[in-house]
Amino acid sequence: MITLKKIFKMREISSLLFLIILFGGVGLVNPSFLSATSLVNCLNDSVVFTLLACGIAFAIFTGEIDVSIGATLGLSAAVASTLLRNGSSWVTALIVAILIGTIIGLFNGWGVAYLGIPSLIFTLGTNGIVRGFIYVYTHGAWVENLPAWFTNLSHAKLIGNLTIYIAIVLVFVIFCNIILTRTRKGRYFIAVGDNASGATLVGIPTVKTKILAYVICGILAAIAGIVYSSRIGFITPTAGSGYEMRAIAACVLGGISLSGGLGSLAGATIGAIIMSSVGRILVFLGFSSDYDNTITGVLLITIVVVDALAQNRTATKNHRQRLIARTAMAAPKKGDEK
Amino acid sequence: MQNTNSGLVHFKSGFKNFKRWETVLAFILLFEFTIFSLASDKFTFSRMLLSINDIISILIISLFVTFVMVTGGIDIQAGSIVGLTSIIIGVAWQDAGMNIWGAVIVAVIVAALCGALSGFFVSYCGVQPMVVTLGGSFLYAGIALLISRASATESYKGISGFPESFTKISSFKLFDVIPNQLIIFLVLIVICYFLLHKTKYGRRVFLVGVNQRAAEFSGINSRLITLSTYVLSGIGASIAGIVLTAYLGTAKSDLGITFTLPIITAVVLGGTLSTGGKGSIMGTALAALVIGILRFGLPLSFGISTQYLDIPVGILLLTVIIGRSLAGNPRASMLFNKFFSKQKEAN
Repeated sequence: MITLKKIFKMREISSLLFLIILFGGVGLVNPSFLSATSLVNCLNDSVVFTLLACGIAFAIFTGEIDVSIGATLGLSAAVASTLLRNGSSWVTALIVAILIGTIIGLFNGWGVAYLGIPSLIFTLGTNGIVRGFIYVYTHGAWVENLPAWFTNLSHAKLIGNLTIYIAIVLVFVIFCNIILTRTRKGRYFIAVGDNASGATLVGIPTVKTKILAYVICGILAAIAGIVYSSRIGFITPTAGSGYEMRAIAACVLGGISLSGGLGSLAGATIGAIIMSSVGRILVFLGFSSDYDNTITGVLLITIVVVDALAQNRTATKNHRQRLIARTAMAAPKKGDEK
Repeated sequence: MQNTNSGLVHFKSGFKNFKRWETVLAFILLFEFTIFSLASDKFTFSRMLLSINDIISILIISLFVTFVMVTGGIDIQAGSIVGLTSIIIGVAWQDAGMNIWGAVIVAVIVAALCGALSGFFVSYCGVQPMVVTLGGSFLYAGIALLISRASATESYKGISGFPESFTKISSFKLFDVIPNQLIIFLVLIVICYFLLHKTKYGRRVFLVGVNQRAAEFSGINSRLITLSTYVLSGIGASIAGIVLTAYLGTAKSDLGITFTLPIITAVVLGGTLSTGGKGSIMGTALAALVIGILRFGLPLSFGISTQYLDIPVGILLLTVIIGRSLAGNPRASMLFNKFFSKQKEAN
């Protein structure tokens, strides 16, 4: 019973329930949506957003935010695809992408954690600079003619319809989630976000943790860039713009609090799946894809407002209980007089 | 001795004046003007007035977003309200057969309602402003797209052929020189300045930003004040949408999608604290001009491709905020004071 209560207290469970209700509802209208192929395809499509959302989740856990991931994705996609097109091996491309992500992450971390500049503003500046670098690097042209093996890799299946990409990403997410929740160092991220000064007092290296969160965020965005180029097959200079907002939205849908210290990577993944299946769901419901943004906006606002109202209610309830307890203590008990 | 001391005091008070952020921005603006006009004789004032349309939306919206950020909120939906306003004007005029000015009024009302909806969620439901306006940016851009689909005209073309009385908003020139947009901008600066800095309402906005609880205890309806700032920013976005539609002569649903980052950059560069409680209309207006002239002058005077303009704007933003954070750092200011006290002793 206690474990059951614990499970229901987990925020990602409400997101999971929402996902199940959403998919179930669509399945009622169009049963073919619930076929194994279609469901796995939803999972396959979410791979870029899962990477982005899990990356930015680290930054959000520490109570910060990173709006430069869309540009990071674009830059890493442009550079890595150019390398691959010119005949480099995938190892080189991957290493270069990770390097790009690390540098951008270190820069963001330096500004936000070390200099203490509000994260939204600092990463906004980084976003502009990195986006500009994409234009400088590509001269505003598209990167096309990627090698066939690279674009085919995005269709490569592991088991049944499950692509290798999403399989690797899911294993990685589970691994990271275990580190985050079960190891001492992993819990630093949540602790810093929950109460930064408290974390400093108990000896957690707050600045280092935040910088590390930004580096992880950058690296995952860069890897998402490679996956993106493999799936799409060409890179425009605007690749990934606006993805940062969708990644943040995915995190929020997955029950991660933007004020930090609350949430899990499982939630981020669930959010990313909801986020990327909206388009597919619309097709199955017979709507045009014009509704994509509207539905996304409605979903996002509904889930946060409901969540905030529920939290307010528990907060007032707890507050009242505390008050009752206090008055009960203050009032002299009958037994005391004797 | 006496002389040097008074000189120092004078210098120090001068420095205090210099410390006022608006002064720094004005200097940056002057610096930009000098550099650009020295670098090329193509950079002239009249040419700048001609290209004001590229930056006018950002200039206008950032004034109103300042209100939101002074209360400690943030508004990233303003860009999508621009497109919504534009397409509502187009559809109401062409497909619903309304009078053009009626259509404009409908658009402004809808924009204010959009702001009110987001403001309601922020202030009465206690959701983080960033999340609500993020959702709002999706929602309103989506609604704009749906409205454009409802029109008989295909949405990628945009609705055009507006009456001259409407397009005159952006083509009218006072004395044949000063574009009407500039006049609108100046009038809005004056209105916003008085509203934020000279009225009771403005003082309440600041107090809510400094300490919402204290504002609540002193009898201010802080929730209503917060909500009203989002309504204001919605109205600001709709004004920008009207001006932009009149200039382009076409109503499109995707106008203004890219404005979000420049708007926030302008407000922050203008000295508004993102945590609220501090900010000024003049600062925002100057900062928006700094960004606008940078974007205008670099391609013209130095032949830098417009695609690369995100880099200098980003670098400008980062340098300024890093510089300000260092200046606000007690360690840095202590070093500064030490330096000056040593100078004094030497004297």
